[in-house]
Amino acid sequence: MVTLIRQEIFKLIHKRSTLIGTIALLVLMTIFAIFSKLQPSFSDPKGDFIAAYGGLSWVVFFMIAACSTIIAMEFQYGTVKELLYRKYYRGQILASKWITMFLYSLYFYVLSFIFSIILKLVLFNSKFSLTDLYSNDQSIMHTTLVTYAGNFVGLWLLLSLVLLLANVFKSSAAAISVGIVGYFATSIVSSLLFMLINKWEWVKWNPLNMLNLPTQLSNSTVVGTLTRLSNAELVWGNLIYTAIFLFLGYLIFRKRNV
Amino acid sequence: MNDILTVEKLNKSFGSKKVLKDVSFNVQPGKIVGLVGPNGAGKTTIMKAILGLFDFQSGNILVNGERISIVHHQPLSDVGALIEYPGIYPFLTGRQHLELFADNETTRKEDIQNIITKLNIESYIDRKAKGYSLGMKQKLGIALALLNKPKLVILDEPMNGLDPKATKELRDLILQLTKAGTTFLISSHILSELEKLVDEIVVIDDGKIIKQTSMEALSDSNGNYLVLTTSDDEKARKVFIDEGIKLEQTTEIRIKKTSDDQLASLIQLLSNHGVNIIDVQHEHSDLETSLLDLLDNKQVEE
Repeated sequence: MVTLIRQEIFKLIHKRSTLIGTIALLVLMTIFAIFSKLQPSFSDPKGDFIAAYGGLSWVVFFMIAACSTIIAMEFQYGTVKELLYRKYYRGQILASKWITMFLYSLYFYVLSFIFSIILKLVLFNSKFSLTDLYSNDQSIMHTTLVTYAGNFVGLWLLLSLVLLLANVFKSSAAAISVGIVGYFATSIVSSLLFMLINKWEWVKWNPLNMLNLPTQLSNSTVVGTLTRLSNAELVWGNLIYTAIFLFLGYLIFRKRNV
Repeated sequence: MNDILTVEKLNKSFGSKKVLKDVSFNVQPGKIVGLVGPNGAGKTTIMKAILGLFDFQSGNILVNGERISIVHHQPLSDVGALIEYPGIYPFLTGRQHLELFADNETTRKEDIQNIITKLNIESYIDRKAKGYSLGMKQKLGIALALLNKPKLVILDEPMNGLDPKATKELRDLILQLTKAGTTFLISSHILSELEKLVDEIVVIDDGKIIKQTSMEALSDSNGNYLVLTTSDDEKARKVFIDEGIKLEQTTEIRIKKTSDDQLASLIQLLSNHGVNIIDVQHEHSDLETSLLDLLDNKQVEE
């Protein structure tokens, strides 16, 4: 298993998109921070820091692309035979890809955090301190960590769906599209969804509602009345749906003829 | 000796189409076995099934006596393979491909260098694979199949895209590895190449095994002939017919070779009847002819 993860990381490191993704993230965060500095009336320096200067949103796109290609590229390049005929179980091969993507998402989050600190020190050092109180009488640092954690759990719900679809469609383009549409769908249909939840209580358990986790964590009282779920229920809902989607992906991958 | 590979009554369908019908054959260690048959006969499907890439309806595949299935791959640790076309990551160099799949941590560098030298791919191994030609990719695919010193190597059309020099080098390498104990199962359309390599051949047509035989037996059974030119062909023909010797339906006197001392007795027979032999030619039919005869006979039987 360690060998398989090592192989996946080896491939990931040598892909040009990995370096491009990292540089793009840093550049985009820098542009956002500079814009925020130049246009103080349109921005909230504390809020921008908590959202990693847009970094957390960009990571979603990079991770959707990475998760769909890590499976679809094997079919595209014909390397899937090379992987599957060896002595490992198919479950191990798939799990090594999941773990690699998990580590990759952690890498992006740590990078976003460290670079946010650097941007704060360079551009906004005099504006606020990380121990200042933000919302819900919590410090900025505390709110940041909760936001990151909430986003991370929500991200993985989305990624588990992308990993499942990449398996079904055999094409990274389809999986990327569905992932990105799913990402935007939450914000677009959430008001409609809240109306439905108001009418039929059980609709609150659908996966799209689970994706409201990060928003609710930063604003529990308002959003909580809309999702009709507690923070704990949302977290569990996210984790359970993630597990279900990953397991479905495994069932398909296990019996797939190549 | 125990077989390194045994395929027993393998059946496989794609939807309603049966692609493998009770396929059975075996491969002994240290042998080179050729899997031949027309396009769509089921060669690649058999190879994929052996590698656990396919689910099959019934039958058994054993590698070193252990069962292989889509969910049980452990015995494949001793198997190397190249199926259809080589799977290559365009963003890695050839050497990085080998590093990726080299199993043995301690001898990794040495193993990789060894295979690079043997296949003569040093000149481009450190270039990104996206710039490789078909032949270069093919050689890298073969290198990957031979890495980690597998006991059984399965090669599907290994000569695809190789130039004559590379083909000869590959042939020499396969023979050299066989001497060291490696077993090969090879499918190829280039029968003249296969003929120079294999010890045994498994003929498949329309998902069924028609024959498994040694190369020697195949060429003996199917086509060594003596072609005689005599001082009086007409008389010679009559003598042979009177003696019950079967002549082929050709303009020259053509007799199927049945034993090594057959020629001596034919010369004796003709000289007893006052016919002199002017010239004798030994005609060996090649694998292609033998194979076509075999497939034709099968159609006749059907």
